[in-house]
Amino acid sequence: MQLFINIIVLASIYALIACGYVLIYRVSRVLNLAHGELMMLGAYLVLATASLFAGHPLVALGAAVLLSIVVGAMVYVFLMRKMTGEMVLAAILTTVALGILIRGVIVLVWSAQQQYPAQALNLANPSLTLVGDGHISLWSAVLVATNILVYGALFGFLRFGRWGMRMRAAGQNPLLAAQRGINLHTVYALAWGLSTLTGALAGILMALDSGVTGSMPIIALKAFPAALVGGLDSLAGGLVGALIIATAEVLLIYYVDPLLSDVVPFLVLLAMLIVRPWGLFGTREELDRV
Amino acid sequence: MFKRTLLGALSACGMTLALALPAAAQDAYVVGLTGALTGPPSSTYAPAVDALRIYIDRVNGAGGVNGHKIKLILEDDSAQPSKAAANTKKLITQDKAILVVNASLSSTYAPIMQETKNAGVPLLFASGVCPKSVYPPADPLQFCTTGYAANYDSQAALDFIKATAKGDIKIGFSAMAIPLSRGEIDHAESLAKTMGMTPVDKEVIPPPTADYTPFATKLKNAAPNWVYSWAPWVTQVRTLEALRKLGWTGDMIAWAHLESEAELARLKDENFYVIGANALFQDGLPIHKDIEAAAKAAGSKYPATMMTEGWIGGMAIEAALKSAGWPADAAKVRTALENLKLDTKGLRGGVIEWNKTNHFRTRVDYRVYKWSGGKITRVQDWKTYTVK
Repeated sequence: MQLFINIIVLASIYALIACGYVLIYRVSRVLNLAHGELMMLGAYLVLATASLFAGHPLVALGAAVLLSIVVGAMVYVFLMRKMTGEMVLAAILTTVALGILIRGVIVLVWSAQQQYPAQALNLANPSLTLVGDGHISLWSAVLVATNILVYGALFGFLRFGRWGMRMRAAGQNPLLAAQRGINLHTVYALAWGLSTLTGALAGILMALDSGVTGSMPIIALKAFPAALVGGLDSLAGGLVGALIIATAEVLLIYYVDPLLSDVVPFLVLLAMLIVRPWGLFGTREELDRV
Repeated sequence: MFKRTLLGALSACGMTLALALPAAAQDAYVVGLTGALTGPPSSTYAPAVDALRIYIDRVNGAGGVNGHKIKLILEDDSAQPSKAAANTKKLITQDKAILVVNASLSSTYAPIMQETKNAGVPLLFASGVCPKSVYPPADPLQFCTTGYAANYDSQAALDFIKATAKGDIKIGFSAMAIPLSRGEIDHAESLAKTMGMTPVDKEVIPPPTADYTPFATKLKNAAPNWVYSWAPWVTQVRTLEALRKLGWTGDMIAWAHLESEAELARLKDENFYVIGANALFQDGLPIHKDIEAAAKAAGSKYPATMMTEGWIGGMAIEAALKSAGWPADAAKVRTALENLKLDTKGLRGGVIEWNKTNHFRTRVDYRVYKWSGGKITRVQDWKTYTVK
């Protein structure tokens, strides 16, 4: 039972991060390599809002989540918008530079030491006992629930929402979408905002569970294979990819060697790239655009 | 006539200025530091560097050493070997540093050692783990003030477990997947066997890990009654927290890194011990009050409890420069370091003493602390081990 819980928790972490990569790629064909740093920024924003709204943890958490959406949209408005019409590679390199900038700013503002947002918010993290003597921490359970909610909401939004349909249209054929009167810049800004929101949710919940340090973006790098294995333009793919990678990782830790956990996401990715380079649920024609 | 006089005066001024500038630059002891000020491992090193800077500023504020200021030049290597090498080269050739200080990951050591060796400049490790080259027989150019010491730390921790545990000891181990931590835990595992303990599991955990529970699950299922970890703080504390989440109620001992004092108070876990070579601030020594006041006055963003390693590094630099006299060069500083006898005013269990063959220290002393009765309490006073 515990192994099953471990797989679900790890898969939820990877899936929540992976859907951020997918959202931006699906809409704008850009790989956001600053996603890990934006995720970490979300966790640090909780520290800022915790001091602003002392004694009101839910308000502080809500404010951090809202701020992360704004940050994502601002990244598009002030940075990525300038990359419109430029080579995709230039946009990707811009995200690399953005990541470095965010890391530097975080050290300057919050220092390099390990921080505990849960402590700042005065929130506990008790262990919950499940059936079969399985254990899960409160914030890990919240992370799993959030992941289900986020994916459900995103599926609904993209399938039935007006702006969701616009996002899909912009992703499929931006020229035609623009000719039909869709404001591409608004759509892209929304995609960046939502992507940063999902990353920030992952960062915030991980930080509430076990704290935050400057090494958090490395976790996002491990979630990147989940997005690629599932298919970089498929939301469902992100979920399935995360589950595959988390299962392989947890089982190898338990039955073979803990050290393999570091390489297994990339081994699975390599295997997928050989067999099906566009991923399990990805669109084959999208491969050229990568 | 006037024009010639003016030109002459200007030339004289220029010459005076040209001669005066290098003199001014050489009017201070130049000490260069390359450290992990940013990047993932900086949480361990940046507070120590800040403490060292505050200490040197304080020395300068009090008139410097032998009537001369210490010019401390800080360079960030982000724990990257290539950056560390470039920093060291710059510090030696451009800044003319007479002493180089390292406060970074062990992966940066090799290039820094090479650069300092080529230039004949002494190298001081302050807050990064002491390399083998400072143990007897020591490299003539390398010195270390850092508290943690491979092999001795595990011996002391296992001795404590042996003395504290009741009944059979089934011990589990946790390390970070970096050479130093793995090597030490391998050593501890074999040492435990010779001490009559039963090693039941060893988890070597990669540094970027989203969730420690899968590792802790395996460790818990091996049913240890003690767990020992010698790794960067994040691995130690997250292993403990993951074990507790799984309902494990055994005892754990880990190395008392800079973070440990604040963390003991955060965790409030009465079965979690930290063993270290530095006296924690709860001991309330006069020097602790000094450090707290200096950190506050300097407006440091790090708590004073994280400053001991950097403070001791600063004390060693001050003592060495004092002994080297003025003017000092790299050779004089090296000789001074080789004969250093540093009273840490209680921050350590004894003096830091170096000689021709031993640039680590002649003795290591350990204290053990834990959270008990609503505060941090000392559960073992200084226990001394002689360095051979």
